[in-house]
Amino acid sequence: MELERLVVVWCPELQQEGPRGEEARRFVQVVARTGELCPWAHPIRLGVCALPARGPARFFGGEEMVVSRLVEVVGEDAHVGVADGLFAAVLAARARLIVPAGEVRQFLAPWSVATLARAELAVTLQRLGVTTLGQFAALPSPHVSDRFGADAAAAHLVARGESGELAGLRDRSIERRLRVARGEDPDLGSVPPPYQPGFFGGASAADTRAALSFARVQDRLGIEAVLLGRIQGGRDPGEQAALVPWGSPEAGAIPAGGAPWPGRLPLPSPTEVLRVPRRVEVVDAAGLALEVSGRGLLNGEPARLSVEGGPWQAVTAWAGPWPVTERWWSVRRRRARVQVVTDDGVARLLCAERAQWWVEALYD
Amino acid sequence: MGLADRVRPTTPVAGRLLPVPAPLVPLFPDRALRRGTTTTVAGLPGHGATTLALALLAAASQAGSWCAAVGLPDPGVVAAAELGIDLRRVVFVPHPGSGWAEAAGDLLPGVDVVLVRPPGRARQTAARHLSARARERQTALIVLVEHVNEWPEGGDLALSVGAIEWEGVGRGHGHLQGRRAEVRVSGRRSAGRGMECTLWLPDGSGVVATVTRGEDGPGGAGSGDGPEAA
Repeated sequence: MELERLVVVWCPELQQEGPRGEEARRFVQVVARTGELCPWAHPIRLGVCALPARGPARFFGGEEMVVSRLVEVVGEDAHVGVADGLFAAVLAARARLIVPAGEVRQFLAPWSVATLARAELAVTLQRLGVTTLGQFAALPSPHVSDRFGADAAAAHLVARGESGELAGLRDRSIERRLRVARGEDPDLGSVPPPYQPGFFGGASAADTRAALSFARVQDRLGIEAVLLGRIQGGRDPGEQAALVPWGSPEAGAIPAGGAPWPGRLPLPSPTEVLRVPRRVEVVDAAGLALEVSGRGLLNGEPARLSVEGGPWQAVTAWAGPWPVTERWWSVRRRRARVQVVTDDGVARLLCAERAQWWVEALYD
Repeated sequence: MGLADRVRPTTPVAGRLLPVPAPLVPLFPDRALRRGTTTTVAGLPGHGATTLALALLAAASQAGSWCAAVGLPDPGVVAAAELGIDLRRVVFVPHPGSGWAEAAGDLLPGVDVVLVRPPGRARQTAARHLSARARERQTALIVLVEHVNEWPEGGDLALSVGAIEWEGVGRGHGHLQGRRAEVRVSGRRSAGRGMECTLWLPDGSGVVATVTRGEDGPGGAGSGDGPEAA
């Protein structure tokens, strides 16, 4: 099925309603100005407005011209983008891009699964090693439908660039909210709060101010540059927590703290958890490489270590080993963790598999 | 004038001070983080400067302030939660690369506390610009460095971690239970006191705590002055 080609205007600073309703009134102006350019412009949700691309592109002489005209009339802070289907068009607007027709799937591929605003699905996928829309799209459809259900199957179609609609993307009360903002509908009390599935964040003026600054950093460094921490339970330092893009659904669902998890290392936890563990050599007093046995025991006492070929440092204290229980989907492996303090005062969490050692985390 | 300027919130800055966890109160002349000031936190690798800097976000985030941490490459999210940080209010920008100063500059108008770790000695122009912007936007700026001279402007307040000692771990027994650390306060706003105190960075429950006279060990959950770990 061919997706409708859409232009989206995204105003990051208007996506959340403050206590005075100022954002909604400003957004009414954005919709009105967009409507002067193209009568088919319609609001999607607060801060997001869409219009069909084909007519205006013919009229103004190309999609680039439509985009620049829109930026002229709405203001430089508006993000405008063009793509096939609503979902991709919103992301294109956030990135200020015109995605060529028929290239939606390629465009979506590098984005995080978090952009789908499906918290549980994203967490499950990430734990399976599926982090991008491209990887998600590559999963076979029947498998996704069986394993994750109908809503995930719909999201899968979106990731494949075969659909542009995702439940929750459109705020069904937006027209009514704008009528209230225009003063046409005085019945303010009965307007339900917008369904915010987590594409964007909170509600207060401070939140809006913060959101605007985060969007600026995302403009500068990319959408994945601004992250929120999330505790999710697990034994490994790297498993207990995740960093999820700000504005993503998991970000909306972040609990204040985590539940205790059996088998985790004792407190305190390391302040630096390396995404890419560093190789380290660990030897005993005789200079022999230390190994972890099949029963998870060490064959000696650590006396010195060298990180990634760096200078040798004396080990002043150490604790462990704690055997590592493997995750269910991986091959059974025997590993062990050891906490090691060196004479410079640095405390590290090491992980060993036979004679191979890694620095997993640091306590700074 | 852009949309952003027209909708910039007119909410007055609520109070000039941002709370810090109880054990850190004596380090601050105002007994809290003052908006608009720059605080440097210095310490050699492994000496707990990251713990101290993150702890400065704990009470503020719990009170609802947005905070940002720029340039901490692989932040320990669990440790941050143990220190009392409300993870819903703190954004991490772990890999700003050479754009660290620009990213911090973008965040200063948006949040109440910006923690930034420059990748080495900061350029004087960048340091001056960020401190000035923090003052102008009434945001607390915390700079995490190895040596205090890596921040050419100096801070209004300078906290530095000196000697440390890990407790609870021996040769093949126990576990890392607490790091006893000497913390010194200096800087323009410290009234020249050169005050020193001994802190757990952190204690056995993962929070920052005061080391009480004659205390042998870092204790467990609830033994410190700080909030109890979740």
